[in-house]
Amino acid sequence: MNDKELLPWLEKMLTGDEAAFRVVYQATHTDVHRTIAFLVYNKQDIEDIANETYTRMWRSFHTYDQNRPFRSWLHGITVRQVQDWKRKAWRRIRLFERNRLMHDEQFDWTDSEVIKSETQLELLGVVRTLSYKLRVVVILRYFHDYALDEISELLQIPLGTVKSRHHLALKALRKHCELTGGDSYVHRQTTTR
Amino acid sequence: MSIDKQLRDELLQHAKSLKTPPEIESRVYLSYQNDFLQKKGRLSMKKRLVSGIIAVAILIPTAALATPYLADQIFGSSQTIIERGGTQEDYQEIEKLFQEAKSKLTEEEYAEFSAVMKQLMDLKIKITDQNGVMHEDQLTAKERKQFEEILPQKAAPYFEKIRGGK
Repeated sequence: MNDKELLPWLEKMLTGDEAAFRVVYQATHTDVHRTIAFLVYNKQDIEDIANETYTRMWRSFHTYDQNRPFRSWLHGITVRQVQDWKRKAWRRIRLFERNRLMHDEQFDWTDSEVIKSETQLELLGVVRTLSYKLRVVVILRYFHDYALDEISELLQIPLGTVKSRHHLALKALRKHCELTGGDSYVHRQTTTR
Repeated sequence: MSIDKQLRDELLQHAKSLKTPPEIESRVYLSYQNDFLQKKGRLSMKKRLVSGIIAVAILIPTAALATPYLADQIFGSSQTIIERGGTQEDYQEIEKLFQEAKSKLTEEEYAEFSAVMKQLMDLKIKITDQNGVMHEDQLTAKERKQFEEILPQKAAPYFEKIRGGK
């Protein structure tokens, strides 16, 4: 569904029309969920952030400029909710809970190792080890296809910062490719031929 | 294959395996209903809270009822705590502590204890923001020494008496 088709539903949604909201949800949930799931790995956290993102969507709808793509406005909200959540989580929780969370994150990490070995997504594994700041740039650039200046606007950080984070992320990814270059070459040969 | 292309391919491939859990759908719908369909109910929520507080007040034993909230003498009202990331429950805990202090300390000791606590809490409130995070750097060196050393030292013997008497 494009913006023009979505807009009437969005406006109806604001009047408390639940059926209209369901249409909006169906049109957007895959994108919202995928974006969050690339940035945060804990299932419960993903659920919380998705809920916050939608709440923000209808509460801040008046700030949406209808001359611009709805999709990128929603991406802006989504990444800001992820960031807010990360900041709040580390401020509020007690030390032992932090430890538990770190443990969880490790647990999820082994989970992603499984995915990685199953599907041979080698770069994805490296993307997951990148710091959040680098990772979010990679996801917006290579998954959502934003230009670097659009990313700068979306994340509300200077273009130079986006460029350097993008550069650092690619450097880390390339380094990984060089290190395992031999192996993956052999591997690709066996799978493709 | 270039790294750009490989990256795009892999992210897309992984994304395809991500399915939105149904829990999210039901939760988001619920939030929507709460925000839109119960907007009129907001006032009654407040009313409910007030009647809840009244109910609690009735349930408090008459002895405690005779004295007004002791914690109010320190903080003014529970609003002070709630504005800084605390909850009504937190406030009840603090109130409990003061009730205990009053019953276990002599009148003179309690007066001194609450004076020290008031100074300590005034400083604490001053530096605590609405998320409950403390910013010690907002204190002057003198205040900081008071906050971190002198006042806790003064309060410590009273705490021992209160806790020891359990």
